[in-house]
Amino acid sequence: MTRSVRTELLKLRTIRLPLGLLATAAGLTALVTILGAATGGGGHGGRHMAAPPLNTAAGLQAMLTRTGFGMLMAAVLGVTVVRGEFRHGTATATYLATPDRVRVLIAKAMAAAGAGLTFGLVAAGLSTGISLTFVAAKGYQVALAWGTIARFGAGAILGSGLLAAVGVSLGALFRSQIAAIVTVFAWALVVEQIIGGLFDAAQPYLPYTAATTMAGATLGGGTSPLPFAAAAALVAGVAALVSAAAARTTVQADVS
Amino acid sequence: MAVIEVRGLTKRFGPVLAVDRLSFDVGQGTVVGFLGPNGAGKTTTLRVLLGLVRPTGGTATISGKAYTDLPDPLRHVGAVLEASGFYPGRRARDHLRVQAMAGGFDPARADEVLELVGLQADGTRRVGGFSLGMRQRLGIATAMLGDPEVLILDEPANGLDPEGVRWLRELVRGLAEEGRTVLVSSHLLAEVAQSVDRVVIIDGGRLVAQSSLDELTAGARRVVRVRTPRAQDLANGLDHDGVRVERVGADRLEIIGATSERVGMLAAQLGIPILELTTDAANLEDVFFQLTATPTEPEGS
Repeated sequence: MTRSVRTELLKLRTIRLPLGLLATAAGLTALVTILGAATGGGGHGGRHMAAPPLNTAAGLQAMLTRTGFGMLMAAVLGVTVVRGEFRHGTATATYLATPDRVRVLIAKAMAAAGAGLTFGLVAAGLSTGISLTFVAAKGYQVALAWGTIARFGAGAILGSGLLAAVGVSLGALFRSQIAAIVTVFAWALVVEQIIGGLFDAAQPYLPYTAATTMAGATLGGGTSPLPFAAAAALVAGVAALVSAAAARTTVQADVS
Repeated sequence: MAVIEVRGLTKRFGPVLAVDRLSFDVGQGTVVGFLGPNGAGKTTTLRVLLGLVRPTGGTATISGKAYTDLPDPLRHVGAVLEASGFYPGRRARDHLRVQAMAGGFDPARADEVLELVGLQADGTRRVGGFSLGMRQRLGIATAMLGDPEVLILDEPANGLDPEGVRWLRELVRGLAEEGRTVLVSSHLLAEVAQSVDRVVIIDGGRLVAQSSLDELTAGARRVVRVRTPRAQDLANGLDHDGVRVERVGADRLEIIGATSERVGMLAAQLGIPILELTTDAANLEDVFFQLTATPTEPEGS
């Protein structure tokens, strides 16, 4: 398994797409954080509430947790790790080297998760750096404990890694790369928002929402997020569940 | 001893029967041409053999095992299946490094196989900028990474220029001289005729011939063309030997039903100078076309 994971990581290091996605994630994260901080603390700290200014704990938290694009791009990376192989015909070489397709799928999920951690690290680093720069520029005190800020960063990193693994599962389940990527965005930005808006109690159990709460995002309606470990387990469970479905369908399909 | 054994192999894609109860062997250390027109089922058969496509029925084994059961398969079998199987933004050497790592080989093999296929100067170029012929060479380099004893090449001459086809022919013969087993598919018999020991010909997913080239052409009409300033004398001599001769010009004859050796020996005995002596190679193609003349269903891959 180690050789398979190292092979998948080498594949990622020898193409430009992962860097492009990382640059996109970094650019979008920087943009939304700068816009939020420049307008006095944002307005997206929670699902149903406007965030207070940066000199408050809630206002700073709203800025620090703008790491969602890092997570989404990590999921897109996961999709391309699988679907890109079929798009370019390299799946044949992959399966000739490793005929055990479940092993290939697990190796891809592990490699994508590893790369996804980098996406989370960059997103957390940017949102934290930009937010604290604005805090310092305005002469505010840092309104959150450093341990809390570190926990938000760790949540963004882990959440990105786990969502990258979910992306791999979706890539294996779908026949179309575009369809899989559209599903990632539609699920995270539309479906979960609708379900969460209709049923407050369901919010903590929605996988993308759970990943963002790991990174410090708050929920609307006074709903408490899942504890960090439980949220991580939920997202990992979703990855495993979708992977199992993919293993029973696409993974057993003819490669022609 | 057969290294590759295909027994009753059947593959159906929905309503399309791509391979129909196909059986053939490839012996150890032989070069076998796997021939058939486009859509005959060659690629599907090779993909089943390599564990990429699940058969509807029958078996296809290499050294007695399904490909998926071979330990370290790239050390045992090298395959070139399609020229498009490269990530266009990846550099050629990186592509080989990836496959070397997947197969557990020394990364230095990447440079060795690049040199083997004449791409040593192109290793740092991205594959997207490669010609089809260069991609074929890179595919062969990939197949050679594990120094395998069995090679499966699917239409490897596609996209190669005449020099490339000649290079491929010499490579295949060289591999055979090293004792490797090679199964090479083509839709053109002439493309592989100079490289192979035996041929397996399929059409419509079914086996239509499995033999040596000599056996294949044994019953075929053979034409030997001769140019000589004493055409009439040679014609008389051949006619006296019971050989059918047609005069096609002042100094040209077409001889049917005799080998070039027999014609040459007779000319020598009669002291007749020979300016040209050729055997009509088109006969081999004629046999191939006769065997594969039936309408075929499109291949499902």
